[in-house]
Amino acid sequence: MTSLRADLRLAWDLTRGSDRGEWWRVTLTASGAALATGFALAAVALAALRGQYNVPVAAGLLNQPGTRSGVIAGLLLLLVPVLGFLGQCARIGAVHRDRRLAGLRLAGAAPWQVRRIAALETGLAGLLGSAVATVFCVLLLLRLWDKPTALAWAGIALVAVAVPLLGAAVSALALRRVVASPLGWVRRVAPRTGRGPGLLFLAGLLLVGVVALLALATESPAASNRPGNGLPLTVVGVVLAGGAGAVWLSGAMAEVTGRVLAARARSAATLIAAQRLRADPWAAARTHAAVLLVTVVGTGFLGIRQVMGDVVRTQRFSERADYYLTGLDLTGAAIALAFAIVLSGLAVGTAESLATRRRGLAAQVAAGVPRAVLGRALLLETALPLAPAVLLAGLGGTAIGTWYAWLGHHPVPWVMALAPCAVYAACLLAAATSLPLLGRTARPGELRYA
Amino acid sequence: MIGMSTRHILLGLLATGPSHGYDLKRRHDERFPQARPLAYGQVYTTLQRLVRDGLAEVDGTGSDGGPERTAYRTTDEGTHELARWAGEIAPPAPFVANEIFAKVVVAILSGGDPARYLSAQRAAHMERMRELTAVKAARGADLATVLSADYALNHLDADLRWMNTTAARLTTLTAEVDAA
Amino acid sequence: MSRPVPLLTAGGLTKAHGRTPALRGASVVLHAGEILAVTGASGSGKSTLLHCLAGIVRPDAGSVTYDGRRLEDLPEKRLSELRRTEFGVVFQFGQLIPELTVLDNAALPLLLAGTGRAEARARAGEWLERFGVRGQENLRPGELSGGQAQRAALARALVTGPRVVFADEPTGALDSLAGEQVMTALVHTARESGTAVLLITHDAQVAAYADREVQLRDGAVVALGVTA
Repeated sequence: MTSLRADLRLAWDLTRGSDRGEWWRVTLTASGAALATGFALAAVALAALRGQYNVPVAAGLLNQPGTRSGVIAGLLLLLVPVLGFLGQCARIGAVHRDRRLAGLRLAGAAPWQVRRIAALETGLAGLLGSAVATVFCVLLLLRLWDKPTALAWAGIALVAVAVPLLGAAVSALALRRVVASPLGWVRRVAPRTGRGPGLLFLAGLLLVGVVALLALATESPAASNRPGNGLPLTVVGVVLAGGAGAVWLSGAMAEVTGRVLAARARSAATLIAAQRLRADPWAAARTHAAVLLVTVVGTGFLGIRQVMGDVVRTQRFSERADYYLTGLDLTGAAIALAFAIVLSGLAVGTAESLATRRRGLAAQVAAGVPRAVLGRALLLETALPLAPAVLLAGLGGTAIGTWYAWLGHHPVPWVMALAPCAVYAACLLAAATSLPLLGRTARPGELRYA
Repeated sequence: MIGMSTRHILLGLLATGPSHGYDLKRRHDERFPQARPLAYGQVYTTLQRLVRDGLAEVDGTGSDGGPERTAYRTTDEGTHELARWAGEIAPPAPFVANEIFAKVVVAILSGGDPARYLSAQRAAHMERMRELTAVKAARGADLATVLSADYALNHLDADLRWMNTTAARLTTLTAEVDAA
Repeated sequence: MSRPVPLLTAGGLTKAHGRTPALRGASVVLHAGEILAVTGASGSGKSTLLHCLAGIVRPDAGSVTYDGRRLEDLPEKRLSELRRTEFGVVFQFGQLIPELTVLDNAALPLLLAGTGRAEARARAGEWLERFGVRGQENLRPGELSGGQAQRAALARALVTGPRVVFADEPTGALDSLAGEQVMTALVHTARESGTAVLLITHDAQVAAYADREVQLRDGAVVALGVTA
């Protein structure tokens, strides 16, 4: 136990003495953990309800077990973009952290010690986030619910503890290569394949999926024999398959785009962007997978919403239109939230890629490479592989919407075709938020340090 | 090339076959480009001593239409002595004659300006290093030239580094010398 | 020898990094076609002097004149253009883009100047050959030895035919043999093309490749070998 305390102390010292990049990582990781805790707590609290219950929010949408299960599934699905975001956060300052941990190994620390120190670092950030989120959620819950059941309390406690623990476990797993040898990644010669984090993302996706399925299966036994109950299950399955496909598709797209363009590029910016994609297509895949997922869901939802909105307003549901529209709006809000998280992840990822390369970028600027060229290369790195991938994802979403409209014999809601365009533009904007950072990063001062 | 044995170098040159005194001087200066050139008289004195000690002998005398020349060749004993010397370890500078350090100390004792002296000496060293580097970096320079220039360069560089650290510590040194 | 023509002149350069002064009134002249070594201990302001002279940073005070133009009067855009057309820079390491092939790295300045890709690559290939990096054009910088990478960096710095090459400890990360090859390549090429070189080094054996030496101490130039 004393050695654990020593490690904890070391982890704390390392975090405290670290530079701004580290603090960004800690802050963003804590925010991500807080989001994850919030969603999970909401899902748990709802899952603890049994049968008909009067919940004073969302136009009575949460009163019945059937619709409640849908909301729970939605909340759990929101964990997917949060996971992606956390993955991006873990990469902030990764190069420096890897070097520092390799330094610990060189100083004689055993692999498990280094892994534990790193896990403690992440765990502490996660604990901070989850603690803040838990406190606020509990306060909110006590206002809405006079006497939460023991089951609800147990669930809340479980989530509050599980989030930081999971974060620590994932970071220990992700560091297996760094700590394998004392020299670790002090000297990184060949570009790594980067499939590891992609696999982690998939594993996380799978975990969320399984939990969502379990929640759906156990939540409402009374409603299980009702027709249409299979729909949420199908949606979850489709989204999972879509996510896995998106990772692969995005990586493959980046690789092909990079290879084709690297041979034909006529301008310096295109050449740099293409060669970077070719060197590490999976970096793009990690960042873009969640974007594609949101595109499919968002486009499809836009179509479905259009059709359902018409149905609700015009037909026999009109007296309860409010109820249905609130449901739709809630789903829309969830998708918008997911998209916002995904965009933050993208912006963080772009900023991180700049921070990692700051010395090299400073050298390019010193050699007279205009900042505009470097900025264009940065945007092209996002724009090039994303264009075909978003197009395909948009087509997928449009297909869902069209299919739904066709089922109900309604005209195809073409407005949904706008969704992929909006997604693409928003992604470019998110990447462009790093451009001011490029100006500050590529300083001659960086030339002075190794 | 202080303390280098001219005897043994001439024996080494003779090892390739009988040679005249003038020939030996020319070949020496070619093969050791950065060394001090051999004086003609020194070559003859050394050859006569080698004969006296039985390490070399007269091979014959010819004139080839010019002035009379005596050719020399090595003896078995000479070959043996050469092998012994070539394998012997050179003593790693037992007493370094450090004229620069002596001048610095004398400058301090006599109230001179050791810093200015060191700076001027440094400039002279750099000038010599530039000459040697120009010889070494010239297109088509052969390896023997490059290596002998390198040898001299490394020694001058060692002096220079010593001068740099000494210049940075002159205040302490002055206090120490004055106190003694 | 004709009379030396001043190409790059700096007077009274002062520059501080935060509260730490790096240059305190340094003045230096680089003549056309000459190789000038700037030496001095660590922290004497060598790199900062190079950054000011190459227009990479603007000095707090003092003036830099290149070919009749005062660098402090030029906007960043023109400075950047000057750096990529008339200047070449070589650092200790890390100037090659790791994702680009060696050939594309060397061709980059030409691409930026608007040369077509095929021609840029052909010309870059010739320069790589001059620096003895033939046969490694399609490798990434990370796959080269330190000496090869520095020679590739020299090819990149010289590919546009600059009038001045700024080299900041170009052999600092190399062993002496690799360093000798890099320096010989630099000196030969500079002499043949009449390129002036400003060479920053703490190593006297590297400084000895230069025609002249300027020594920095505490951010100012020290008079050398003056016995007056």
